[in-house]
Amino acid sequence: MIILAIETSCDETSASVLKSTGGRLELLSNVVSSQIDIHKQYGGVVPEVAARHHVQNINPVIMEALETAKIKPQKLSYLAVVSGPGLITSLIVGVEAAKALSVAWQKPLINVNHMYSHIAGNFLSKVEFPAVCLVVSGGHTELVLLKNYSQFKKIGQTVDDAAGEAFDKVAKLLGLGYPGGPAVALKATEFLISNFQFSKISLPRPLINSGDFNFSFSGLKTAVLYTAQKMKKKELEQRTSEICYEFQQAVVDVLVGKTMKAAQKHKVKTVLMAGGVAANKKLRESLRESVEAKGLKFGVPEFRLCTDNAAMVAIAGYYLAKKKRPSRDDWKKVKVNPNWELK
Amino acid sequence: MKYITKSERETLNVAEKFVQRLKGGEVLCLIGDLGSGKTAFTKGLAKGLGVKNIITSPTFVLLKSYTAKLKNINKLVHIDAYRLDSGAELDYIGVEEYFSDKNCITVIEWADRVKDIWPVNAIEIKFKVLKGNKREIHIK
Repeated sequence: MIILAIETSCDETSASVLKSTGGRLELLSNVVSSQIDIHKQYGGVVPEVAARHHVQNINPVIMEALETAKIKPQKLSYLAVVSGPGLITSLIVGVEAAKALSVAWQKPLINVNHMYSHIAGNFLSKVEFPAVCLVVSGGHTELVLLKNYSQFKKIGQTVDDAAGEAFDKVAKLLGLGYPGGPAVALKATEFLISNFQFSKISLPRPLINSGDFNFSFSGLKTAVLYTAQKMKKKELEQRTSEICYEFQQAVVDVLVGKTMKAAQKHKVKTVLMAGGVAANKKLRESLRESVEAKGLKFGVPEFRLCTDNAAMVAIAGYYLAKKKRPSRDDWKKVKVNPNWELK
Repeated sequence: MKYITKSERETLNVAEKFVQRLKGGEVLCLIGDLGSGKTAFTKGLAKGLGVKNIITSPTFVLLKSYTAKLKNINKLVHIDAYRLDSGAELDYIGVEEYFSDKNCITVIEWADRVKDIWPVNAIEIKFKVLKGNKREIHIK
């Protein structure tokens, strides 16, 4: 089976070719055209600007993915595309391109959920089920329980801000720039290096003992604001790294704590992680330690498969195609759905 | 009208009651600092409007739309202008369609950043943090 996948849900235009030989998956190409430098000046993604760049990039990116893979369109088995959740103006570019190619090349089109594709980034190697996956990104924070590669259920989510968004907002209010994740993480490391003591700042761990698997990061961000407001300018300059350290620790404590509780309750064999925030080293290492201490398997995609990319969409498409054979008319049913939630 | 609330729950209740005064087609412009109760207020509105989903922050995507069920009102649109300096960006993604929809309630957080696109019938709602974790909500 050879799949060409397309992903344009936010600010990355991406296309990828995946080949499966007897169940062994091989990525032949994964082209990502990032707009991060363009959106930096706005402190976040600007939908209309993103859409225009997707329109410019979509054809060259698809062609490059096919050329790098040395695959002609006739050789493809299926096309796959993300139709939600995401920015409607971005999604529509990838979806319309995929539908047009599906008709032109007479290849069935597989409809993929963006959140499921993040999880599928873990499926290049074999996974022992049941598994629980923590999906954390700029727009999402969810816990998903997996029965197998294509059957899953959302068991918890943020009730306000996503974890990545909290990093972005804290970075903004501390004047650290965009994207906030790497900036805050770097500052936190500075504190760790220069101080062999614990942070004297104490921030809340929201909902950590709530008994369910939901998250809340809005109040944590506000607590950071109040902490910063109480300090004089000079003190704030000196203690910014300490605030970052404590903030990151609070986010990690909650994410790891809840994920482990979910793992225990549902007696999983494997704990997975996905999404852009999975790139945060502190979070990765803390979760890995907790998971392995319980004798469970831990999995996280390599970095390039954590941020938005089409390779994970191709992998998701492969498992969906195995579950239900796609047909050539499927493109008619594919519609952009910016609020498509995992059930 | 001014309200003083002592908790997030009370802010939510003020919004839930406020829904009774809405007829559809209103644009609510929320102004206030981080943590002053704008999101809690929006969650209360959603509850009052019969929205089933959890209201999560729209900062990342700028706009989220939910199905509402209250009389003729069938849609709640939640906009966050936190990252914006003007309304042009919201104009591009077609928010005017929602402003003129008689079956839709539009809520804009950080609305002071996009004053250039406020419709004439906009309802301004100001949030202030008072001492002792109290909040003042001023509906104009």
